[in-house]
Amino acid sequence: MLEIRELTRRFGDATAVDHVSFEVPAGQMTGFVGANGAGKTTTMRMVMGVLGIDEGEVLWRGSPITRLDRRTFGYMPEERGLYPKQPILDQLVYVAQLKGMGRTEARAGVQELLERFGLGERTKDHLEKLSLGNQQRVQIIASVLPRPAALILDEPFSGLDPVAVDSMVDLLREHTRDGVPVLFSSHQLDLVERLCDRLVVLAQGRRVAAGTVAELRDAGVPRFRLVLGGDAGWVRDQSGLDVLDLDGTTALVEVREDGAEQHLVAEATRRGAVHEFVRVRPALSEIYREATA
Amino acid sequence: MSTDTSTDRTDRTDEPAWLLVTRREVVSRITDKSFLIGTALMVVMIVGFLGFTAWQDEKTDDVTLGATPDAVAMATAVKDGASAVDDKVRVAVVELDDDAAARAALREDDVDAWLHPAEDGDGWQLTSESSEQDSLTDVTEAVVRQQVLARNAADAGTSVDALEAGSSVTTSFLRGDAERAAVAEVVGFAFVFLFYFAALIFGMQLASSVIEEKQSRIVEIIAAAIPLRHLLAGKVLGNTALAVIQLLVYLVVGLVGMSFTSYKSYLPALSGPTAWFIGFFLAGFVALACLWAVAGSLASRTEDLQATSTPLTMLMLVMFFGGLSLDGRAQVIASFVPPVSAVVMPKRILAGGVEWWEPLVALGLLAAFAAVTVWVGEKLYRRALLQTGGRVSLRQAWSAAE
Repeated sequence: MLEIRELTRRFGDATAVDHVSFEVPAGQMTGFVGANGAGKTTTMRMVMGVLGIDEGEVLWRGSPITRLDRRTFGYMPEERGLYPKQPILDQLVYVAQLKGMGRTEARAGVQELLERFGLGERTKDHLEKLSLGNQQRVQIIASVLPRPAALILDEPFSGLDPVAVDSMVDLLREHTRDGVPVLFSSHQLDLVERLCDRLVVLAQGRRVAAGTVAELRDAGVPRFRLVLGGDAGWVRDQSGLDVLDLDGTTALVEVREDGAEQHLVAEATRRGAVHEFVRVRPALSEIYREATA
Repeated sequence: MSTDTSTDRTDRTDEPAWLLVTRREVVSRITDKSFLIGTALMVVMIVGFLGFTAWQDEKTDDVTLGATPDAVAMATAVKDGASAVDDKVRVAVVELDDDAAARAALREDDVDAWLHPAEDGDGWQLTSESSEQDSLTDVTEAVVRQQVLARNAADAGTSVDALEAGSSVTTSFLRGDAERAAVAEVVGFAFVFLFYFAALIFGMQLASSVIEEKQSRIVEIIAAAIPLRHLLAGKVLGNTALAVIQLLVYLVVGLVGMSFTSYKSYLPALSGPTAWFIGFFLAGFVALACLWAVAGSLASRTEDLQATSTPLTMLMLVMFFGGLSLDGRAQVIASFVPPVSAVVMPKRILAGGVEWWEPLVALGLLAAFAAVTVWVGEKLYRRALLQTGGRVSLRQAWSAAE
């Protein structure tokens, strides 16, 4: 497990990351969301040791992270980084070797991944000669070599076509299945919702929400929608509830006092037909908008 | 991908990171066409220059010397004595009737020069249409001096030998006659040029490869995997190795080529200075390479390099022109001042007259300077490299948190 504790970074007078804490549990995908400039990249760079930490610490398996730990991490920087004018096989082997892989093992591993991503025929091509999507695939390979102990990916899905997104997702899932913690940032909330076990929301350098997707959706004041056979105007008079919306036979309420929703259902059935009574969980995008507002 | 959950691998390399970086620098450069073509072109230039020199060697200079009757005797003496002074000059004498005929012959190009008693009655005068008769002038001067000296000696009741007794000076290497000085001059120029050329080309290359890494952000991947000082060390070492290999190729081609010219007798005497030059080249190059790496790390895009490397390109020019033009006391002082000493001291060694301890002290100072630039360069490089968004000033880099 990767733990981020009270991580803080200032640039001059501006605090880019302000006492941010969260966890990236083993075998889980943690989505990192927030507006541009919220501090996601800065946090990830601090985790990877690319940027100095002003305050706070990063723990890996319970103890402060070391350079050797980081060497076993897979990292994809925000702005993609590889050599444009070098054959892809050569530079991937180089990156793998820098991370401590043996030359033979590195070659075999790179070759296998290139084939898997449909680049087996292009090992001698310079990176800049590949399409953007293929460059992205090469970048992914660079970050998962050698089998990483943890994955820190900054916007790994940006610029990927749907097919590439799927193969990327498969690849990440393989790693989480092996118990690897994965932290990735993204602007694509639907993707985050589909993929993530957990979510961390940053706004202006502060953590404003964190937890599993279900936790986040359950957090906050519970809301219910009630659809009746007749007019729902009477709902306004019920105590312990706030009516958010009332439209003919349909009412949307927020529960202020525990149990108030039970009285509401009882009263509704007493008055006539109840077509629908459901808990309304906010979409992730709503939570995000509220959290970052 | 396998489902193996263990994170420890058996096939880990014990190869230090800097060595991996060094190897990548060397391999990616040595397989680069423009590098190979550039090196080949330089070799062709060296061979061409030596070939031209050899051809000039063989060539003899045929000159026609006009003389009025009162100067025929002297002109003939010049003709006979020419080969002793300069074996590449052959003089033919044409007898002319008077001064007017001589001037006409000069204008008509029938003769290259006209020898006659000086108009003020003291000594001799060589008149030619242009000043392009250097070899003839040298020969004439020497012979006339000999002749007049002999006559004057005889008049004084003695002989030239008697006058010159005990005045002979044996000179040690490359100082003394014009040819030796010229060889020292040319080889000295070659040293300065080779250093300038290598430091500039490899320096620029090093700086732009630093920018390439910074701009493409691969540096973040590298920084997460290995300490940045290993990256810098690998880059500097790789480029130094390449520069030295290239230098050795040029030197070998140059020296072997020289052995085919009439200057081959100077080869044994050149080996010492050449060895010193390689030492100075190495220390000087390492010192500058670190500064080039810093220049690269301060820029954030290739377009910035022009600005961040200006102080360095100025320094290179100072070294180049200083190396070529300094002489006397200034040269002696400069030969101890790093990094200019990297080119000036080898040139002084070449010219001769250097105490044995002087190169050692200069090399020691240069090595110390290199150590300082490596130390300072490493700090600046490390701090500037991961700063994004525009150019980084030296002050920012120095005070930046890591």
